[in-house]
Amino acid sequence: MTDKIDLAKAYRPSEEVVVREIEGETVIVPLTSGVGDLEDELLTLNETGRAVWARLDGSRPLAEIIRDLEAAYDAPDGVIREDVIGLLQELCDRRMIVAGE
Amino acid sequence: MNKTARPSLADGYSVAGLLRAVLEKGRPCRYEARGSSMHPSIQDGDVVTLRPLAAEGPRQGDVVAFVPPGTESVRLHRVIGIDGGRYLMKGDNGLAADGLVERRDILGAVARIERHGRVLRRGPAFAAAILARLSRTPWFTRLSRRLRRTIGRRDRKA
Repeated sequence: MTDKIDLAKAYRPSEEVVVREIEGETVIVPLTSGVGDLEDELLTLNETGRAVWARLDGSRPLAEIIRDLEAAYDAPDGVIREDVIGLLQELCDRRMIVAGE
Repeated sequence: MNKTARPSLADGYSVAGLLRAVLEKGRPCRYEARGSSMHPSIQDGDVVTLRPLAAEGPRQGDVVAFVPPGTESVRLHRVIGIDGGRYLMKGDNGLAADGLVERRDILGAVARIERHGRVLRRGPAFAAAILARLSRTPWFTRLSRRLRRTIGRRDRKA
């Protein structure tokens, strides 16, 4: 079981993923069990996911990123926050992101 | 976040960058091979696992993934000769060699082949070296094609 997402922490992509922009898509290859699996484990991010991923630089607390996204995107109160936390929890569970130092 | 259909993997376009990125991290990479140029060793739809190249580079007989110069595609062919640090490639089922390829254009070597969910047993290294030598002879391709036709007939009967 992985940690719960903490709004005060800064997150960054793990060393256990390979990320490439392909034809406008952000494609992520998790190195599951040390193997990059393009056959079964290729992942893409939707627009929200890409916006979040691009901001995960390991230096800004998640709360700040959420404020940034709320200012950039028009959405009902709480929706962006909920989506971002949900996405980060999934990324964290898959060991695709880690909390920065 | 979506699990995705493989983006543009059918013709190898785009997959080269992903393979290179994973292998440069020193990690193996698994992907679906397309085409028949390595038949019967590797068949269309087989899932191959590439390993990063050893420091000394590929050996004659190894099947490697490489990016032909001037393209963005990935080709899986056998090293049939080494000449001054460059590698002569050829598909077992091809009529002609691909020409010499620089080490930097070779992504990794085939370490494992899965067909219909089962891992194929690999032959000994000397067998691959013999195949590489045979690949330089025209009758090898004819033999390979005859074998392919025979297998095709057998599969159709089954």
